[in-house]
Amino acid sequence: MAMQHLNKSQQQELVLVNPEFQDLHIVQEENSHLRLFLICIPSPNRPLAPSPNRPLAYDITVEQNGVGCSTEIYALAYGRQQDAVRIHTHVFHNACEGTSRQVLQFVLNDEAQGDFYGELKIMPHAQRVDALQTNRNLLLSDDALMRTRPQLEIYADDVKANHGATTGQLDESALFYMQQRGIGYHQARQMLIAAFMKQVLAPMSDESQKEFLFDAIDRIVH
Amino acid sequence: MANELLIIRDLHACVQGKEIIKGLNLSIHAGEVHAIMGPNGAGKSTLSAVLTGNPNYEVTSGQIIFRGKNLLEMEPEVRAREGIFLSFQYPVEIPGVSMVNFMRTAVNAKRQYEGQPALSATEFLHLMREKKKLVGMTDKMQNRAVNEGFSGGEKKKNEIFQMAMLQPALSILDETDSGLDIDALRIVSEGVNALRTPDNASIVITHYQRLLDYIVPDYVHVLADGRIVKTGDKTLALELEENGYATFE
Repeated sequence: MAMQHLNKSQQQELVLVNPEFQDLHIVQEENSHLRLFLICIPSPNRPLAPSPNRPLAYDITVEQNGVGCSTEIYALAYGRQQDAVRIHTHVFHNACEGTSRQVLQFVLNDEAQGDFYGELKIMPHAQRVDALQTNRNLLLSDDALMRTRPQLEIYADDVKANHGATTGQLDESALFYMQQRGIGYHQARQMLIAAFMKQVLAPMSDESQKEFLFDAIDRIVH
Repeated sequence: MANELLIIRDLHACVQGKEIIKGLNLSIHAGEVHAIMGPNGAGKSTLSAVLTGNPNYEVTSGQIIFRGKNLLEMEPEVRAREGIFLSFQYPVEIPGVSMVNFMRTAVNAKRQYEGQPALSATEFLHLMREKKKLVGMTDKMQNRAVNEGFSGGEKKKNEIFQMAMLQPALSILDETDSGLDIDALRIVSEGVNALRTPDNASIVITHYQRLLDYIVPDYVHVLADGRIVKTGDKTLALELEENGYATFE
């Protein structure tokens, strides 16, 4: 388990690519800003998950303990063959005027399995909180499987909380549109999958790291 | 006759098991503009879908010969590289794929097919700058994802911009006038007219005569119940405007 503490007004951007630890616990004090990227993508010398029976599993817990915190969590997972990826987030709004924004995207090919559980809790005294949780998943094969369970618990009355989960296939009309312009079917697919994946990383402020990851994504979809 | 670009013979096609095109014949020569008009449900959009190889439509019999080749044997992308271009009635938004990346991939796919070297980044941007002027495409549009957040008019301008970039032999304009105000209609039509050459041809599919004031056709065909039931010159469009399609239904 990894622990992080964000002090008053501290700003932090964390980029975690296939991290070794499984649990991450972050406590935020007043007016601190956290932007976290969790990226689970296969690399050539290392399979994504040790075995289908032992999924790659991450638990991310964020506690907003001070007024006016912001939390952004962006997660991207790409599974193929018999990869199994589990990402669970637990976001606790324990104070007023906090914001949280979560975008979690899974791309699953072959017989890969994905599991998202998103716990979002707004405590009774945590008024004027603005929370958003979005889970978008792309299934590239009929045998891929996605489980998604958003869990919102809201105990304060003056809050905004939105969540949405969608699981689907590549947009056939976009594929045809690209083919109609002369782009080959496979290349069009690759472009659409890469675009879907890169969207999650768009808010990353470290441009060189973002470029590095974009290149990695281009290699994966090929 | 020489220069026959497209020949359609006794075409039958269906969508979801329902026959929509029922024995259609059409010949198009280089340099011509053909308008296809007709009531809703006559098969106008099905014809454009069949010509471009949309997988949701099935050709059950008949022939389509494009520049001497059997079009029906080609994948949609091969038809496009051979020179068939569709200006979509509803252009598709492609989030995350930039206009530049999209257009460069398309232009170079065609060049590779024709055995030409790919354009360099500089050459491509130069070409794009030149063609943008044609329809008043802004830098803002160019820098966004394909059609994402574009207004109806911007989407149609973008279609004509792509047509200018790809220089197709046969362009099919499917209800290009739908959703356009008069200024956008004029800009789009001027773009189309500027791209006319003796070597290419256009099919203009429209429900209304209005567009044909701007893009003047050599032939007007009335499509009703899956067949071409009448062919004339541009005066036929005026006649239809006056009398409607009732006599053909």
